[in-house]
Amino acid sequence: MTPLEGTLVVFVFVTAVATALFRDVLSAIIVFAAYSLGMAILYTVLLAPDVAMTEAAIGAGVTSILLLLTIAKTSRPASDDLFEEIHVPGLIAVSALALVLLTTVPDAPAVGDPAAPVWSNPDVTQYYIQHTYDDTGVQNAVTAVLAAYRGFDTFGEAVVVFAAGMATLLVLNREVFA
Amino acid sequence: MIDTLTPVATPVLAGLADVTFAPALVETFLTRYAYATVFVLLSIGLYMMIASPNLVKKVIGMNLFQTAVFLFFVATAYVEGGGSPVVPTEATPGELAVASPLPHVIVLTAIVVGISLTAVGLALIIRIYTEYGTMNEETLREVRIDE
Repeated sequence: MTPLEGTLVVFVFVTAVATALFRDVLSAIIVFAAYSLGMAILYTVLLAPDVAMTEAAIGAGVTSILLLLTIAKTSRPASDDLFEEIHVPGLIAVSALALVLLTTVPDAPAVGDPAAPVWSNPDVTQYYIQHTYDDTGVQNAVTAVLAAYRGFDTFGEAVVVFAAGMATLLVLNREVFA
Repeated sequence: MIDTLTPVATPVLAGLADVTFAPALVETFLTRYAYATVFVLLSIGLYMMIASPNLVKKVIGMNLFQTAVFLFFVATAYVEGGGSPVVPTEATPGELAVASPLPHVIVLTAIVVGISLTAVGLALIIRIYTEYGTMNEETLREVRIDE
């Protein structure tokens, strides 16, 4: 873990805790946008610039706008306290889950280990890295997989977005059948 | 025996169950820091979904949960000392040290599905607010019992 990664991990942890604890929804949304931005930088450090750009645009951008629109259309409960009170049963349940999940960490390969199965597998990752340009003529392997190898998945994704748009309009009674 | 390295510290450390265990565990977690971060952030998101009475904050918690899972995928794709997944044009024999593109692609898909989910969830919240005049889970439950 480099100092930059350590700083980012601390930053996302602090902003996540602040998001959970702020009673005022507007404060939580703003801190969550900062969290998303920190997460986007962490993705960049972990060599995922495509994911980072999408996270910065959608996570920090569009999600924040949707959340702000929602509290503009509804109400923002008047907050007398700065922080929410701790929900003890929820905290116990979630801590138990976190402990169980953390016991699996020592069995995972180290972050960035070239021998890790995800990266070293000759039939999957190494195949795509070595054949992408010959197969598709695209240098960005992420674009190549998204648009060429897994084009149908991306089409399905577009269907999901369309369905979500339709559902949103129907729920909000904004559909016009004229 | 005679060549005991730290005779002063030994009685103190002897009280601990395993002297070499603790630093090794810290080292283990430092090299796998991303996974530990994922599990902690995921738990914070789940806590928000359980504990917060405000529906908008539950949606924020769901988004927090999602970004934690995205970090898991991105961390598995990372390779130390590599580059971002851009391959050179000329045929290169042997292994290229670039991050695995496949987890990145699945995360891109998941981000888009996640924003769709958020949009529908928030639309439902607005509808609930116009019908019942509240976004608080407990108040909503009381209102629905009274009906």
